[in-house]
Amino acid sequence: MSSTSFVKVDRKTHNQLRQAIVKSLNLIQYRLPSELGNVVIKPNMCYYWDHSTGLTTDPEFVSALIDVLRNQISQDLNISIVESDASAMKCKHSFKLLGYERMAEKCDVRLVNLSEDKGEKVEVWINKQCFSFILPQTVRNADLRINVPKIKYATHTKISCALKNIFGCNPNPAKFKYHSILDETIVALNKIMKFDLHILDGIIVAGTRPHRLGLVMTSQDPVALDAAVAKLTGINPKSIRHITLAHKERLGNISFIPKGDSPKIFGNRFPRKKLKDKVLSSAYRLAIWTGLLDAEML
Amino acid sequence: MNKIRLGLIGLGYIGKIHLRNCLKLDFATLIAVSDISKKALNLAKKMGIKEVYNDYKMLLKDDSIDAVIIALPNHLHLPCAKEAAEAGKHILLEKPLATNVTEGKEIISTAKKNNIKLMVGYPFRFSPSFKALKDKIENGEIGEVQIAYATDVGSGPIFHRAERDIPRPVPEWWFKKELTGGGALIDLGSHMINLTRWYFGEVNKIKAYLGYKFDFNFEDHAICFANFTSGTTAIINVGWFSQETVLEIELFGTVAHAHAHHSAPSKIVTAIQLILKQIPKFYLPHFAEVSHFVQCIKSDTPPSPSGEDGLRDLETIEQAYKNRTYVD
Repeated sequence: MSSTSFVKVDRKTHNQLRQAIVKSLNLIQYRLPSELGNVVIKPNMCYYWDHSTGLTTDPEFVSALIDVLRNQISQDLNISIVESDASAMKCKHSFKLLGYERMAEKCDVRLVNLSEDKGEKVEVWINKQCFSFILPQTVRNADLRINVPKIKYATHTKISCALKNIFGCNPNPAKFKYHSILDETIVALNKIMKFDLHILDGIIVAGTRPHRLGLVMTSQDPVALDAAVAKLTGINPKSIRHITLAHKERLGNISFIPKGDSPKIFGNRFPRKKLKDKVLSSAYRLAIWTGLLDAEML
Repeated sequence: MNKIRLGLIGLGYIGKIHLRNCLKLDFATLIAVSDISKKALNLAKKMGIKEVYNDYKMLLKDDSIDAVIIALPNHLHLPCAKEAAEAGKHILLEKPLATNVTEGKEIISTAKKNNIKLMVGYPFRFSPSFKALKDKIENGEIGEVQIAYATDVGSGPIFHRAERDIPRPVPEWWFKKELTGGGALIDLGSHMINLTRWYFGEVNKIKAYLGYKFDFNFEDHAICFANFTSGTTAIINVGWFSQETVLEIELFGTVAHAHAHHSAPSKIVTAIQLILKQIPKFYLPHFAEVSHFVQCIKSDTPPSPSGEDGLRDLETIEQAYKNRTYVD
């Protein structure tokens, strides 16, 4: 079983975020290495939605994390914030629109579009199927990889959190091509690019609507973190295929030991899907899939 | 006169709304469409349009077409409208008329020279609630309007295609100021300036506060203070930053206060209406707009809003850009 910390943040100030991140690391007894050169941070950027919608990682949160790293490791750390182009999102726009360009300048960190990064072809087997991806150089050369996901409901994977966020490290922009084999792809990418630390920005969560949850969660185990998050959202983690597949592929453990504040406090406040929401979203998907509806008109 | 034969140029977001609406017109037939996207043309074919072109120049060569609806990116309004006018087609041109006043004037002079009807697409002029507000002003029910608030805030072009389940790429031209003519002010402000000019007459003076939340070289929100010849002062708020759409006008007159809004589309109601092949409520003004355009061609009367109307709006927007201050 893997330790997963839950820390409540009352106010979103830089100091409070820093303190919450430090506390969440301490709760799982994680000690940052004392000597490091390159650090990669992977926030969650989803289309161009502002962080206030709960759909994307808040650059303020990443900025607080950078402060923690520089204070605890070295001021000279070489930090890269990474993301890749997607079917409907271009990093050149998302870095700017979501406030990362401004943050990168202030914090003196690099913004890397993995779709433009050099890389090497890597193969991995999942469920007797061979997957090959380009492993970007920036990710490969990092001494410490930190994943900073969000909590969201997702169409194809029920939830999107730590494991799913690594899907965004796939430099191929045509991400829709993987939708029919998304669970396997997520697990394959997590096998190729293992992240050392997963720190959830749950200050604002998406759920059925944006909600200020004030939560920071940390784990070294992405499967445990996702399982804990699934429970918060009201979904049995064992019903989520990419989580069970990741567990089977030894990427982590579905069982977790909660540390810090009680998960119940957050679970009770999470804007969970009700039966009505589930029926409606299934109906929309069916109508769009059958060609009865053009999603653009909604 | 037989049915008016229409061509539709551009099948982007607004073009697809016209496509659906045109199929329901009584006095006109949509016979041809053009777009550079094969996928969009296939959709049109599936909806029964036989003539599809990947180049609008081919569509304009069809002599049987009486009029065209141009729903292209802003920077293409001038070349396309000029060619359409020279081909003798009446034009319903999406707002804004052009990316700037100089281009706008060229479109109008070409339309006049070729003796064709030019209407600018401002669908909210056909919204029942905004029309009712116009009636109240004209009937004197509100008295002299001293203060008006006009708001059009929504997700804007950068976000509106982002259906959570099926994200659509934003066409790159939206990110280039030289192709759009500006940001939220020219995009949404043109609607609100057109409506307030319809209510209160010409603008004497206008100032704009421009906001840049997203750090682009074009504004994503703007607050304008406009003084009208009628004595009304309007505060016009537009923005591209919200997941919720708000489209409303509030008037404070010497007699009474009045308010009108065009309801944001309810996803479930819109979905049901689309499945039943009905026009969703939010897009009914767009249907009324095209119907008016067709009616004007049939009855040989001038359409409204006219090209000149669109030009006055552009002049007002240019004045606002000139008298700008930045929101800190």
